[in-house]
Amino acid sequence: MGSADESSESDHHAPAPADWPRGFGEASWWPLATAVGAAGLYAGAALALLARGEDAIVGPALPSVLLVGGVGIFLASLYGWTYHGFVARYWKRAAGDGLDLRWGMVLFLATDVMTFAAGFVYFFFVRTGPWPPGELPHLLSSLVAINTAVLVASSVTLHVAHESIRGGHRRRFLAFLGATVVLGVVFVGGQLLEYYELLVVEGAALTDVFGSAFFALTGLHGLHVALGVILLAIVLVRAGRGQFSAERHTAVATTSMYWHFVDAVWLFLVVTLYVGSVA
Amino acid sequence: MIGAVPGIVLAVALLGGLAAYLRVQRDPPPAWYADGGVISPTVGLTRTEKPSGVLRWLTTVDHKDIGLLYILFGTAAGLWGATDAMMMRTELLVPETVVWNVETYNAVFTTHGLTMLFFFVTPVFTGIGNYMLPLLLDADDMAFPRINAVAFWLLPPSLVLVRGGLISDVLGAVLGVLPIGVGALLALEPVSMGWTMYTPLSTEMANPQIDVTLLGLHLSGIATTMAAINFIVTIVTERPDDLGWDELDIFSWNMLVTSGLILLAFPLLGSTVILLLLDRNFGTTFFAIEGGGPMLWQHLFWFFGHPEVYILVLPAFGLISLILPKFCGRRLFGFRFIVYSTIAIGVMSFGVWAHHMFATGMDPRLRASFMAVSLAIAIPSAIKEFNWIATMWNGSLELSAPMICIVGAMSTFVIGGITGVFLAAVPVDLVLHDTHYVVGHFHLIVVGIIPLAMIAASYYWFPLITGRMYNQRLARAQATLLIVGAFVTFVPLLVLGYMGMPRRYAAYPAEFVGLNQVASIGAFVIGVSVVLWLVNLVQSIRVGPIVEDADVWNLKETGQFTREWQWFEDRIEKRRAERPLPDDHTGAESEPSEEATDPEKPD
Repeated sequence: MGSADESSESDHHAPAPADWPRGFGEASWWPLATAVGAAGLYAGAALALLARGEDAIVGPALPSVLLVGGVGIFLASLYGWTYHGFVARYWKRAAGDGLDLRWGMVLFLATDVMTFAAGFVYFFFVRTGPWPPGELPHLLSSLVAINTAVLVASSVTLHVAHESIRGGHRRRFLAFLGATVVLGVVFVGGQLLEYYELLVVEGAALTDVFGSAFFALTGLHGLHVALGVILLAIVLVRAGRGQFSAERHTAVATTSMYWHFVDAVWLFLVVTLYVGSVA
Repeated sequence: MIGAVPGIVLAVALLGGLAAYLRVQRDPPPAWYADGGVISPTVGLTRTEKPSGVLRWLTTVDHKDIGLLYILFGTAAGLWGATDAMMMRTELLVPETVVWNVETYNAVFTTHGLTMLFFFVTPVFTGIGNYMLPLLLDADDMAFPRINAVAFWLLPPSLVLVRGGLISDVLGAVLGVLPIGVGALLALEPVSMGWTMYTPLSTEMANPQIDVTLLGLHLSGIATTMAAINFIVTIVTERPDDLGWDELDIFSWNMLVTSGLILLAFPLLGSTVILLLLDRNFGTTFFAIEGGGPMLWQHLFWFFGHPEVYILVLPAFGLISLILPKFCGRRLFGFRFIVYSTIAIGVMSFGVWAHHMFATGMDPRLRASFMAVSLAIAIPSAIKEFNWIATMWNGSLELSAPMICIVGAMSTFVIGGITGVFLAAVPVDLVLHDTHYVVGHFHLIVVGIIPLAMIAASYYWFPLITGRMYNQRLARAQATLLIVGAFVTFVPLLVLGYMGMPRRYAAYPAEFVGLNQVASIGAFVIGVSVVLWLVNLVQSIRVGPIVEDADVWNLKETGQFTREWQWFEDRIEKRRAERPLPDDHTGAESEPSEEATDPEKPD
């Protein structure tokens, strides 16, 4: 547990050299703008709930404006923040050891365990009660097996990619990182296909006792994978523009941690939800 | 209740307030006072290369500024929540429901809980931690200054969402004077399902504001979790090499454990409220009878809710352990065991949640095991209390304002804590559950040790933060008044609980009226003391005597002049070197310079 070294100190304490609208000392607009976007997103979601049903108390226009505006501001701010903070002038900025960022990711993943926990606990509650609670959809298919294999394979390719950049093999790094992105996209596609099969073809209930658990957990996981694909794609684009080296690969490391975590959650899901509901 | 006030009055008040604010904005006072102070509360102590005015506060990523924003926000929210409390105690002055109506009473005890727990206590402690932790650790800033800023800025919108029912009612009443439809605003009523949001009540209640409140709680949980991650990473990675774990100060230890609890408790609450939101709006079965049922809600909620209790109180423990020795002239007794007890509380706090559910008819074997852990968690708390007493033993005690707060905090904690041990025992709990005994028990902690530790910190570090001194005699009176108020308010509630008066009712049998009136008078005493605190500090920020000697508390004598005071001393010297006090320029606002060089010393 050493402390951060000199360069990492200056990494986040010096004013951002290239910030927008301008670098002005120890200050930044991005946190406030991001919070405004998030607030718009939440207020829009709240109003969207109030706009539902026959006795809607707000019209549909305001929630949409707030939602779209909020998401827009949120994403634009995140882009500005991270672009100026990490991407722009990459080679000119001092390289930290990234220890704080890696700790940050580990702690975020700990919170994520608890985010998933509520859904898992619900499933354990109903699973230990009278079972089955109704007709279960047909879950164990070759699609799940293939999807699982794809996701596990993507963890392997990502690990190889990370090892490659650590060893300084840039081309192999790019190739395996690209393969990981492709496998991630395939998995998301597989999940969408499964949802289509279950909801449209088979007509499974979305909100019955089992459906609540199944779609809440796989949906939350699907969102995580989709976000992971976006993060990996960002890393890939940055790698394609020549960033990262054997000494500087913090973003690769943190994104890997996230991706492996999402992979592990999937294995838990397969064991408890898919196999566990019929076993 | 809002409906009773004519909208036009509210409109005039609001517009008047706005006009007054704009007037203040348009006519700013001169930037520099002749006594060397500026209008900003951080007198010459922060870096100067920041933008000025409102822009500075909107864009700041400095831990000290963000800490002040947190403290300001938390105090404002606390005053709002205190208004709810005053409304409740006013209603309970008489047995019948004559002051407010039942709906209003239900709403104020709900929003009182939500506001105080999520928007008062944690933000204020996060603020104190933000300001002090990097100074105590000798770090430049928090590990992630910008995440620090965004975590703060998410809180005001969350508060607006959570308390939206009242805001929309006020807006509706104001705008109602205009010929426009305000039905949507009036349809949102303040939430009244109780802060624990038990299902099925919270799923069945029609009030659409509940959905808005749930989203607000989710957003505030994200903000709190980001701040916790920031604290942990700061403590782990931002310490200089020569500051090992064995040298870590006691407040940082407590913030570390608190943040660890937040890390595991708040995300679960976030998911749980989203599941409730889905149940309310999309017909999922998470807390429906055929699904997880009401017990699932209680398990998930209290798995968050009991660690939350320690999330609230551990920073207070940390502040007491840090400040107490400074006024005893001795080191903290049993430092290492206080750290161990903090960690033990952190771990055990995740194994006691079902003691909130003893009366639900859960499995008796589970009940017994939760009873055992709940009783056992009293041990680390007692270790702290005894070590504090041992620290005072044979010390040269100095009854300054912070010290009075701390002694009061220790005494309220004895009663508040020991009454909790009784509640941890299943048979006792079955008798006292949902009575005012429970309210008295936890309020002796949340209106005892927690605000007293905050106020102790405010008195202890006020000179460091503002560069000025407050009126110490008033501060001592205020601290004493708060302690008296806390006991007068909450000890009668313990007795009322023994007599069987249930909580959460606006009306009660006439036999309880005497003790209820005593409790209400005590609550108003607390209110007066809070106002005194506020007036003292606000006035002292403006015109308090300038501190010229950084050793305000004579800490050098006993070798306890810690890092943050050293930082303060460096700042004062730097300021003196850069900008000597102009002796020809004494404006109306300033103190004469001979007084300025002689700040009130603790006696």
